[in-house]
Amino acid sequence: MILAGIDMGIEATKAVVLRDGAIIGRAKASTGGTDRPIQARQTYDAALAAAGIAAIEVEAVSATGIGKYDVPFAGRRVTEVIAAAHGAGHLCPGATAVMSVGAGETLIAALGADRLIDEYALSQKCIAGVGLFLRTMADRLGIPLDLFGDGEAACVPTAVSDGCMVFAELDALSMLNRGAEPQTVAAACIRAAAVRAANTGFDLTVPNDTRTVLIGGTAKNRAFVRALEAAMGIAFIIPAGAEYAGAVGAAISGAKGLRK
Amino acid sequence: MKGQRWETRPLDCWQLAKELRRSYDNSLADSSIVLGNGTTNFYVDWQVAFPAIVVAEDNPIGAMMAQQNEAFARKARLASEVRGWGREICGYHNNCWGAQFLGRTADGKPFPERQFTVPFPCVCDSHIKRGQQCRDYKPIARWTNDFTMYIGERDEKREEAMLDHRNFNTLKQLNEIESVFGQRLDDGKLFELARNCRLLKQYMTNVSYFMTFTPSPLSVKDLYSFFQLGGLAKIGPEKAVHFWKTLRDEVEWRVQNQIAAVGSERFRWIEAHPPSWHFLKYYRYMEKYGAVCLGSQYTHFSQSQLERKPDGSIGERSYPVYDPDMELTTREDAVRFMTGPDARAPHHFKIDEYLRPYALNEFADVFHADGAMFGLWRSGVGCAVTRKEQAMRLRQAGYSVMCYEGSQPGDRVDLDEKRLIDQLDTWMESLGLEKLEDV
Repeated sequence: MILAGIDMGIEATKAVVLRDGAIIGRAKASTGGTDRPIQARQTYDAALAAAGIAAIEVEAVSATGIGKYDVPFAGRRVTEVIAAAHGAGHLCPGATAVMSVGAGETLIAALGADRLIDEYALSQKCIAGVGLFLRTMADRLGIPLDLFGDGEAACVPTAVSDGCMVFAELDALSMLNRGAEPQTVAAACIRAAAVRAANTGFDLTVPNDTRTVLIGGTAKNRAFVRALEAAMGIAFIIPAGAEYAGAVGAAISGAKGLRK
Repeated sequence: MKGQRWETRPLDCWQLAKELRRSYDNSLADSSIVLGNGTTNFYVDWQVAFPAIVVAEDNPIGAMMAQQNEAFARKARLASEVRGWGREICGYHNNCWGAQFLGRTADGKPFPERQFTVPFPCVCDSHIKRGQQCRDYKPIARWTNDFTMYIGERDEKREEAMLDHRNFNTLKQLNEIESVFGQRLDDGKLFELARNCRLLKQYMTNVSYFMTFTPSPLSVKDLYSFFQLGGLAKIGPEKAVHFWKTLRDEVEWRVQNQIAAVGSERFRWIEAHPPSWHFLKYYRYMEKYGAVCLGSQYTHFSQSQLERKPDGSIGERSYPVYDPDMELTTREDAVRFMTGPDARAPHHFKIDEYLRPYALNEFADVFHADGAMFGLWRSGVGCAVTRKEQAMRLRQAGYSVMCYEGSQPGDRVDLDEKRLIDQLDTWMESLGLEKLEDV
């Protein structure tokens, strides 16, 4: 069975093609603004090319992410939590929880023994944009995103607001204006972002964090992962290609529709 | 049961309800002495026995303002905020207080001037400040609807003492209002009122009980339209009683004939408190999944009228025991009769931090709910006090619970509507439910 999943986030669009559950092609591109449907099509085509198959061979295309309704060729739309749960369970069998920290959204879900999800929490207004904040600050400081915050000692006190990413950015810029080293500012940004994301994680009333999978674009940033683990007291499992997990989950959800 | 469809139809008594509502609006225009920020009692209350007193309460005025003229409501809230009442204050109150500061209502009429106020205590939000604002605005008489607080196991002796305190406090208010305003309380009217109050409670309890059946004959949308009609206005208690009897009879008929509020009912959910003012459409949205909201302890007349009996059956709450047929010969008799077993407050489930986290489990069980949805309010009815603990208790009992953030009353932009829709979809999908139009 060949399935495809597209995860259109606020920053990046990810597409995967699965054959019998194995990833045979994937692609990623900037989501874009008003031309999201075009971007979705191009990203999907790139994933098909990587897989070496034609679109007609795909039995189901499913979309997730904030732009899931901007993928006109998707036959099924899946909410982000469902996609994350499916993706985590598929990439990391035995997972008990999944946390996703992307550019726009942070979510956490406790996976159930007899149902997909026992409990979940989504970031609300003040927590939105953790990943986007890190990317913006990395660009401004001229540090590659994957290495952002990784150079300075982790004991830098939180010097930027962890209450809101907008205020955090203002504080970080103030630090720069006062002459702080870029890596010091980066470490403070990482700390603030982790504290903010952890607040969503703490929203679960019955956490089941024995095997918590971390997915989303921020999972590639080692400093952020360390800071989030410290804030939450969890050692995350990070699958290869963590940023594609939502797309994988969407693709797997598509199989459900086929069985009907 | 999945996939079953029941017949559904509108209630016949809607017209009667609308007439009662119009009577409330008219009663404000006829006011001579206005009680501001008064008790929120969902039944007819003792004010009716004072011939010249009309109730102009924050909650209905503030809510109606938001519904009728959001632009004016925003101006009113700003007028309140610049005087130091921040956004942590209920939108109900900020709307109303702001209009009072502006000196007019949404339609340009002078704001009804209050001559006295009787706020009731509430631990988790700004209700107790209602009297303070009224007094800040103008030096008027203030009484406090005082209820005792006790956080711990219930016992009969303590409940009796708490009831005594509540009843004597009410009696003291009545006597002092008489002396301050020279108004004579009509005791005969009070006795009649007490009897009517008893009937109202009975009919309301019956309606509540009927909603435990599957399919539910009413949804929470219906309750929100009806549940204040008894107590808001000096509309004549007999009219309220007549309405509730008509409603009770119709709802009973709907149960007997399996007439559903939502014809595709397959998921029954409860809430803890009122939803966001500006987003009532989510009830309709949930119906796409065949999900019906049965209401909350709040909508079921605020007082958890049902309880589980020792034999496991569900019946009217009866503790402490009082005789529903008792003869009324004194003012105290009438007050005790109206208060009944409610030692705390109309919102006792909200005040009682010991009972509250557990009470919803019983409620969910009685109403055969499948899940619960809780708003975590920055301000508003109930705020977020104990909400997470309630969610945890329900989850431990096997119910699916979804929480979301917002502000229950207040500005439209305080709630992220798209986010909430996402969460509703996620909740339903996580339970394996799809929109029926997609199946």
